[in-house]
Amino acid sequence: MFILKKLLILLFFVLLITTLTSCSASAPQDLEEVTLLLDWTPNTNYSGIFAAMEEGYYREEGIDLQVVEAPGSVLQMIATGQAHFGISYQEEVVFARLSDLPVVSIAAVIQHNTSGFASLKERDILSPADFEGKRYGGWGSPVEEATIKALMDKHGADFNLVDIVTTGEVDSLIAIERDADFAWIYYGWTGIEAELKGIDLNFIELRLEEEALDYYTPVIVASEELIAENPTLAERFMNATSKGYRLAMDDPETAARHLLTHAPELDHDLVSASQEWLVDKYQAEADTWGLQDKKTWEAYSNWLLENGLIDKMPESEKAYTNRFVR
Amino acid sequence: MKKSLNIKNSLPPVTIILALLLLWELICKITAIPEFILPSPSAIGSSLAANYRLIASHSVTTLAAVAAGLFLAVTVAVLAALAMDRWLLIKQAMFPLLVVSQAVPIFALAPLMLIWFGVGLAPKILIVALVCFFPLAVSLVEGLEQVNPEEIELMQVMQAGRWMIMQHVKFPAALPYFFSGLKIAATYSVLGAIIGEWLGARAGLGIYMLRAKNSFQTSDVFASIIIVVVLSLLLFKIVEITGSLVMPWRKEKDLTVED
Repeated sequence: MFILKKLLILLFFVLLITTLTSCSASAPQDLEEVTLLLDWTPNTNYSGIFAAMEEGYYREEGIDLQVVEAPGSVLQMIATGQAHFGISYQEEVVFARLSDLPVVSIAAVIQHNTSGFASLKERDILSPADFEGKRYGGWGSPVEEATIKALMDKHGADFNLVDIVTTGEVDSLIAIERDADFAWIYYGWTGIEAELKGIDLNFIELRLEEEALDYYTPVIVASEELIAENPTLAERFMNATSKGYRLAMDDPETAARHLLTHAPELDHDLVSASQEWLVDKYQAEADTWGLQDKKTWEAYSNWLLENGLIDKMPESEKAYTNRFVR
Repeated sequence: MKKSLNIKNSLPPVTIILALLLLWELICKITAIPEFILPSPSAIGSSLAANYRLIASHSVTTLAAVAAGLFLAVTVAVLAALAMDRWLLIKQAMFPLLVVSQAVPIFALAPLMLIWFGVGLAPKILIVALVCFFPLAVSLVEGLEQVNPEEIELMQVMQAGRWMIMQHVKFPAALPYFFSGLKIAATYSVLGAIIGEWLGARAGLGIYMLRAKNSFQTSDVFASIIIVVVLSLLLFKIVEITGSLVMPWRKEKDLTVED
């Protein structure tokens, strides 16, 4: 009898504590709670968003922005209405739309693809022709293999001579020293990190090798439903976001500081250096930040089709919109 | 008497741990291995010292999911075990499902939970509950089975009802099993919450780990691993202490057995 009572009391307290802790966070009044999903850990690609948060640009638009890190399931959650906006990339949007996920890219965060193949200087990998006889460390996705193969074909090299190793979550800089010879990295983060560590890299920039691979990464996405039923929310969100990215372009130091306020876990030197590197890349030669070009969407979809990665063309006009770009 | 015994018992493991740490530190110093590949214990220590506030705030988020998830798992497991004990048919029908609940790969299911329940605390609580449910339910069912039938017969002779038998015989007999199940569950629970956070969260130790890893700060990753281990040990200890408070007779018995 006593035991039962004691246990019940214990359970009661646990319940009390859990309800108290789960109710503590509440949104400020008059602000609409809006959720944005990140596809990776906070980094300089997202600087404009954190700048807009810290400067209060979202609040000015009546938005209380909740940023959630959700690598791996952003588009599913956008499609099912679990979140309003998300960060993705062109390839993922194409595949999602072909699987009937109603997601639309509403802004290109960076005008050009800054990714490419990195290797240690001493391995002498200067062009895709040098991939022959080397090990590639990656995720083992079909797109990676097709990309490597296409680039090698162009140079008349034999793709079958490449050893594909799945390194997955292994840090690329460690992978190219130990498990593989070259890896696919974003220069603005991993490349800068290598520079800071004094590791000399050879870097083969994807967009310089093949124009069709100059796709948009990352992009901001929303669902078709949100765009159709609540376009003003998308407008308000993008007003603030554009302002944030403009600040990041004008004042990288402040942008780096805002990013670090949101994610103090990050390496300060890496954030500052990466922010400096990205300054002229967010907008590049485009008329305004976020603008997307039909040619870029068509070219990459075509490339995916030609290389057998998709079996039909997605409708580019539906995959992206410039309607909310300021 | 007991205290001195404890110190004596903990001396060998502590010595081993200290020796290993020293060896690790020496290897790092001698080979000059880059910190982003293997940080030395001292680097991990200074990372802990520098970031304890941040880690503490992330820990609170994770522990909230752990507490709620454990509570949910205990509630459901107790109800399920009682039902299975009362009706044989339910036991026959449900026991395979218990095994299924443990066999489901969490890493495959967790992203779906996010898609179904959003990115708030709910999916993390459910993942913790799912991880903890199986050891709890199985040990409870087993505990209720282990009751001495003669004791039940005696109670029946004395005109005791089902509820009386449950209170005075079955429940006390099942308690030790319940607590050993709870120990296993508590140890797994932190890991469950972290898996949930890896897939989508605003804060928590899982997020801390990802941020540290993705900005190449390996010593911070190690620091968070230490915190996860310490939290799991603490939970284990809390369950153990609660167990001995709830079952004082058990503690005495244990002591006599030990001594």
